[in-house]
Amino acid sequence: MSVLEQIKENVIAGNESNVVELTQKALDEDIGPEEILNDGFIPGMEIVGSKFQANEIYVPEMLISAKAMKAGVKLLEPFLTEAGIEPIGKVVIGTVKGDLHDIGKNLVAMMLEGGGFEVIDVGVDVSPEKFMDLVKEKNPDILGLSALLTTTMGEIKNVIDAFKENSLRNDIKIMVGGAPLTEDYAKEIGADGYSPDAASAVDLAKKLLGE
Amino acid sequence: MKRLIDLAISFYSENRRLVAPLLGFPGIKLAGSSIKLAQQNHKEHFKVIGSLVDKFKPDIQFVLMDLSVEANALGLNTIFPPNESATVLKKDKEFNMDSLDSFRKISFDGDSRLLGYVKTVELMKLKFSSSVKVGAYVTGPYTLAGLIIGAEEAGLMAAREPDRLEQICIFTTRCITEYTRLLLSAGADAVCLLEPSGVMLGPSHFEKFSSANVKKIVEICHQADSDCIYHVCGNSMHLIEKMAESGVDGLSLDSKDTGVDLPAIAKKIPKNIVMIGNMNPTKTIVYGSPEEVKEEVKTLLASMDDFPNFILSTGCDLPLETPLDNISAFMETGRNYTISI
Repeated sequence: MSVLEQIKENVIAGNESNVVELTQKALDEDIGPEEILNDGFIPGMEIVGSKFQANEIYVPEMLISAKAMKAGVKLLEPFLTEAGIEPIGKVVIGTVKGDLHDIGKNLVAMMLEGGGFEVIDVGVDVSPEKFMDLVKEKNPDILGLSALLTTTMGEIKNVIDAFKENSLRNDIKIMVGGAPLTEDYAKEIGADGYSPDAASAVDLAKKLLGE
Repeated sequence: MKRLIDLAISFYSENRRLVAPLLGFPGIKLAGSSIKLAQQNHKEHFKVIGSLVDKFKPDIQFVLMDLSVEANALGLNTIFPPNESATVLKKDKEFNMDSLDSFRKISFDGDSRLLGYVKTVELMKLKFSSSVKVGAYVTGPYTLAGLIIGAEEAGLMAAREPDRLEQICIFTTRCITEYTRLLLSAGADAVCLLEPSGVMLGPSHFEKFSSANVKKIVEICHQADSDCIYHVCGNSMHLIEKMAESGVDGLSLDSKDTGVDLPAIAKKIPKNIVMIGNMNPTKTIVYGSPEEVKEEVKTLLASMDDFPNFILSTGCDLPLETPLDNISAFMETGRNYTISI
């Protein structure tokens, strides 16, 4: 089995230390960072995403895979920068004001990183004003908004409304997600896209960039 | 007082349904209070809950939903925003198993805020008509473990160190058992286990960390001749068998929009388990008109006509901003509905 194949298998198994070790081995063998990402990590996480969507694995298994991939990607980052390989897009992501839950948002952030995006995770309990300031400062392609609670999902609409009121809405694509949200609700509040799970979030982000 | 299944069957034999939305926070507006006050002062809490019972007359009335009670009683850092439910803050350092030893020394019956919930139940039992079942909430074993060690850490531990997490869940079950006993002594007719984080687990993990432990809570509820209800938020379709195997009397399930299919569930669970649900608590009832609420409730009721073991409710707790007219429309439609078989 090639080292890239081994990376893929260990990402699927969520074996973080093996992934780090194998990534280093691949670099030592002069395999390019982009090749490691595209032929090791991304296919590994695609399989994890498919298994998740098919209810073959659940959040804990997906978490350990995402953590393993994140550790490997971290090792690759300086080599990707050195080789002048640009991320496929930039995403600012956070959980809305009043909501301190971050497991879903963290998973999405890790999946996006593994999918080749630059991700700026701004944490939890983020106000509309802070989201606007961050978008002005970081100039991302996509803003990702998350809410877990029925009591805070209305804050997602408040963020989108704030972007509209401040004439910033046309500058950015907004994707939303979280347990109480639905596709209909996302459309109703004017989001560009809704993702029911972390695996679909990568496809959605790529689709939004292509539009 | 009759148990839930007997009541549901008795109503069904008269072609009607028990109506019991998960209703708490809208009472804050009704009573002119704040969530912070009501979650910290049992008399204020009762005023809020009492205002809901006076206005809507549900068949079951729960206390305010609050997932921080047990964690707060263990000394975890909890915040109390004026009009949001109390929330346990994320831990800033890694959990250490030794912490469990210090937690074990804490007696729940000495915690003032937890006892506030117990006293609220006492007042509800004392003041409400006997036709209103008094319901209380406790946090599920896995969700409480997640509050103690961090939700993401609990997920990682489930995959990497399941035996260690199992020990933590055995401890949290002990905490929940102690709280449940207090609530039952205060007169709770039904105790609902809130296991929102459980939806992230696969069936085998769910059994190991939640439902196997829930069996113990069910036992003590039954000893007090009370009902035990299991509530999991989101799409719990993959967990239904495990939830039912725990021996609970009721399954409180989230809305169809999340993927929960109540008629399909009705066909696969024992007939002595009541299904409680499942109007979307964040859609029409919050943003629609009373007419739209009525239509949605009728559709839900009609889909369950074939099944005696059903109580009309919401899929989760109604938010603070739910229009009171929409709750009235929900209640009225449920009360006036006639089952056609």
